[in-house]
Amino acid sequence: MRLFRQFILRHLAAEKLRSAGTVLGIALGIAVVIAIQMTNASSLRGFEKAIETVSGKTSLEIVGVGIGFDELQLNQLNWLREYGQVSPVIEGDAQAKTADGRSESLRALGIDVLRDRSFREYKLLEFANQNRTPSSQEFLKILIDPRSILLTEKFAVRHQLKVGDQIEITFSDKAETFNIRGLLKDEGPARTMDGNFALMDIAAAQWAFNRLGRLDRVDVLLKDRTQIDAAEAAIAKRLTANRLTEGLNVQRPARRGSQVEKMLEAFHFNLTALSYIALLVGLFLIYNTVSISVITRREEIGTLRALGVTRKTILSLFLLEATALAVVGCALGLLFGRLMAFGAVKLTATTVNSLYIATAAEPPPLSLKHVLIAFGIGLPLSLLAAAMPAMEAARVTPTAAMRGNDRLESRFRLNARYLILPAVLFALAWWFARQPAIAGLPVFGYGSALAIVFGAAFLVPAVLFALGRVGNKALFKLFKIEGRLANANLAGAIPRISISVAALAVSLSMMVAVAVMIGSFRQTVAYWVEQTLKADLYMRPATRSNVATDAVFSPEVERIVSSHPQVAAADRFRNFDVPYAGGLVTVGAGEFEKQIKHGRLIFKAPSNGKAAMQACIGQDAVVVSESFTIKHNKQVGDTVTLPTPKGDVRFRINAVYYDYSSDRGIIVMDRATFTRYWPEPLATSLTVYLREGADADAVRDDLLRQFGENYRVLIYTNAAIRREVLRIFDSTFSITYALEVIAIFVAILGVATTLLTLILERKREIAMLRLVGADRRQVRKMVVIEAGLMGLVSQSIGLGVGLLLSLLLMNVINVQSFGWTIQFHLPVGFLIQSSVLILIATALAGIYPARRASRLHATEQVSEE
Amino acid sequence: MTEGKYGVTVLLAENIRKTYLGGEAPVEAVRGVSLVLQTGDFVALMGPSGCGKSTLLHLCGAMDRPSSGRLLIENSELAGLNDDLLTRLRRERIGFVFQFFNLLPTLTVMENITLPILLDGGGANEAEKRARQLAERVGLSHRLKHYPQQLSGGEMQRAAVARAVIHQPALLIADELTGNLDSENGARVLKLLGELNREMGLTILLATHSDETAAAAKRIIRMRDGQIENIIEQKQEAAQSAVV
Repeated sequence: MRLFRQFILRHLAAEKLRSAGTVLGIALGIAVVIAIQMTNASSLRGFEKAIETVSGKTSLEIVGVGIGFDELQLNQLNWLREYGQVSPVIEGDAQAKTADGRSESLRALGIDVLRDRSFREYKLLEFANQNRTPSSQEFLKILIDPRSILLTEKFAVRHQLKVGDQIEITFSDKAETFNIRGLLKDEGPARTMDGNFALMDIAAAQWAFNRLGRLDRVDVLLKDRTQIDAAEAAIAKRLTANRLTEGLNVQRPARRGSQVEKMLEAFHFNLTALSYIALLVGLFLIYNTVSISVITRREEIGTLRALGVTRKTILSLFLLEATALAVVGCALGLLFGRLMAFGAVKLTATTVNSLYIATAAEPPPLSLKHVLIAFGIGLPLSLLAAAMPAMEAARVTPTAAMRGNDRLESRFRLNARYLILPAVLFALAWWFARQPAIAGLPVFGYGSALAIVFGAAFLVPAVLFALGRVGNKALFKLFKIEGRLANANLAGAIPRISISVAALAVSLSMMVAVAVMIGSFRQTVAYWVEQTLKADLYMRPATRSNVATDAVFSPEVERIVSSHPQVAAADRFRNFDVPYAGGLVTVGAGEFEKQIKHGRLIFKAPSNGKAAMQACIGQDAVVVSESFTIKHNKQVGDTVTLPTPKGDVRFRINAVYYDYSSDRGIIVMDRATFTRYWPEPLATSLTVYLREGADADAVRDDLLRQFGENYRVLIYTNAAIRREVLRIFDSTFSITYALEVIAIFVAILGVATTLLTLILERKREIAMLRLVGADRRQVRKMVVIEAGLMGLVSQSIGLGVGLLLSLLLMNVINVQSFGWTIQFHLPVGFLIQSSVLILIATALAGIYPARRASRLHATEQVSEE
Repeated sequence: MTEGKYGVTVLLAENIRKTYLGGEAPVEAVRGVSLVLQTGDFVALMGPSGCGKSTLLHLCGAMDRPSSGRLLIENSELAGLNDDLLTRLRRERIGFVFQFFNLLPTLTVMENITLPILLDGGGANEAEKRARQLAERVGLSHRLKHYPQQLSGGEMQRAAVARAVIHQPALLIADELTGNLDSENGARVLKLLGELNREMGLTILLATHSDETAAAAKRIIRMRDGQIENIIEQKQEAAQSAVV
């Protein structure tokens, strides 16, 4: 331990800049991983917590398929009482208008007061102050008026509301004023969505949500909760046995959480994979630092060995060095990660909210789990990264090291293994890329990416060697003698700089790959938007997000739109989620005649998609999105079995169309087909085609005027919806860029520390140069050119490998994760810009080492001899 | 340039002192040394370790400035020169050879030899032409494309000498240049210096522990405790025979 303190810790303290650079590198790597973990957790946490708090003591729930079920079916469920108590529920999202004029989301729960008391504990503030709970009669009195609502104490405090105040709340497309009849203490269901919770009578909720006569689910509180499995099986059996309750299912509340989790899985998996790039680069830094400290301290190691220190001790010393750096890096990474998570949550919120679920706005606090992740990943990987150089240190013999600077003997020679290893890895990558997904996740795809990345990293020495050979003349021409010296210096230090160059090249290749993928994807989506979005107006209820399918239009709104003199056709579309293959798929019902006449879907198969769509009308046939076919391995002619209120029904797939609005897969049927199995649906969106010559903006304004204060409807004109689609698209990938920038920053940090070390190591040569007449400016120029060359090599490899990776991302990883076809498009402008920026950035990274080099005092170095 | 008894004065040191202030107490490494070197001089500095000969050598090589006293190299007073001007002076007028050869390991022999001219902004063609002539002279024509580590110690030192004189300096500073060579190679390098001294009129200031090396010089200056202890003029013939 004393040796560790004297030999390692003091050295780390003396080499402050290099130690700090390495620690920062690891810290950023770990931070990114933690931040993404937290971000992923926060999007699920909000949802799962809401399920948990709203569920209360509910053991099982009876649900319909997709859009709830008819409340009359409740009569068929009287037998449920044999198992315990039952309580019907309406649940959905609404928007409250706050005092400052903004709107805030609320989770609203509609209950049957008399039945619900045993399920959930509501602590009303005024009763709690009297140390008692309200009786059912008292509760009933409070909620009996359909305009009554209970909010939470937390929400009230935040918006300076009190009992007796009024508040405007929009449910679906209707804005209504409610009377606040009580406030709930911050306990139980009141904690849902951090206090953004409203409680109302079930009848009031049915009316507000346009769900008259329907129920979302029936909660069951078992008498004997230990028998939950048996009860679940028995109830399921009895539900299917009765034709009138055939379409109902029994499940545990947590199941909804796991379905959402599965839906988000691919998105989270890809973010997580991306977050590991920065960590990978951080590990390159560890390897770099430890190998540099081994290289520069060979003589000292030799001395220790001569004094009797064993190989094992030397090995442990350098592994401990890595541990010391990693421990500090991981600890700092945890703190940085928590801070970064706030940014990451913001960056991903738009995507998750628009494409998946309403989420919590804050990352979870640091917990033991995160500490375990940080150290559990950071420490072993750091040790692994340090293992090679540490073993090299242990191999140093006393005599070899005592001979002094053995640099002259270590001139780099290119041998076959520098070409064979990359070739093997690239071949492996090719094989991996051809393997199918595992459980819907592109595990082999990422394996392939990893193999490409390591292949590229191992190729770096050969590329540097080639540059040393061919670059001499060109560099001399361009930069005179300083160029020649820089080139010679790099060629002479290949084993030392390879790691930094590789780390930078890896980060850059990922950046290039992601840029090409996003560029191509954006181009594809833009084309798709251009081709398919041909309607004049797109409408949805104000409270409806792209995914929350519980907000529907009031029949009055549908009537106003359809009867508007300028409207040629209004395609009423209804969509909702249905459990399918362990996850969720979206089932949609549209008016096929209108779509065929006015719409412009792009079909993947068959070639005459419209005819295939026409053939669906009146049949149990559907058209499905491309992502559905890829995810579930289906094609035209196959059938898909969907649970309906009338039992499972097989639908034939007639056509496959391109769709980039959601990755979960969409199954669309004609409205007439739909109503054979489901009740007449209210629309979740309206696609409006206007008569020739009609002014879309004028019609929009006119419709909004007619809706007046009663209905809250979002109407996008064609131009606006296109902008909206691309806005969501861009926000989806903002996190990707952020992750990339961090990885590149860490890599450039690596270049700077490597150069600094090289300079300290080359002190004598630089002194010699100064003696033979190189002035400070020339030394500085030389080092900056060296840095720039490292950037150039990294960027060149990055571009080549990046293009390869982009093909992998588009054709394997994306297809397996999301099921989208992306047309290749090269963002030339971006690539040129970023290449120039990287060159400038790496050259700038050379400035500090260059200044250090130019300040080296010639005589001191010579005097050492 | 000052005309002296033997020729043009290349270096003039008057009562120069060098004090290092780094440690606990100031260390006076050179204490009032006066010295004149003229064109064609070949002077050996001798003395025990720590006598100040290396410091004096550094001062004379314009690597450092004296703390006091006057030090002129070809009429340029070092005290008045900033780092850039000192560098220029070294680049244009001084050549260096050291015990450990100090060739840049990543450059070929040709590239090493041409370095001073190229650093001075000279043309590559002219530099290579001169390098070839010099290589011929020092017996390294067949080694120009090799890297230093492919050369023997003697060859490395001869390459270093070629590099030190390619820009036709007024003064050659050599520090223990035979210290790392066997006697045969040492003698060969000394012979080369002797020839350059005679034929090109190159002024040489050489620090050494070795009597054999010192014997090649025309004048031997012995130092002790930062001061000149004595100066021995050697007969021309004796000096010549020492290197033959």
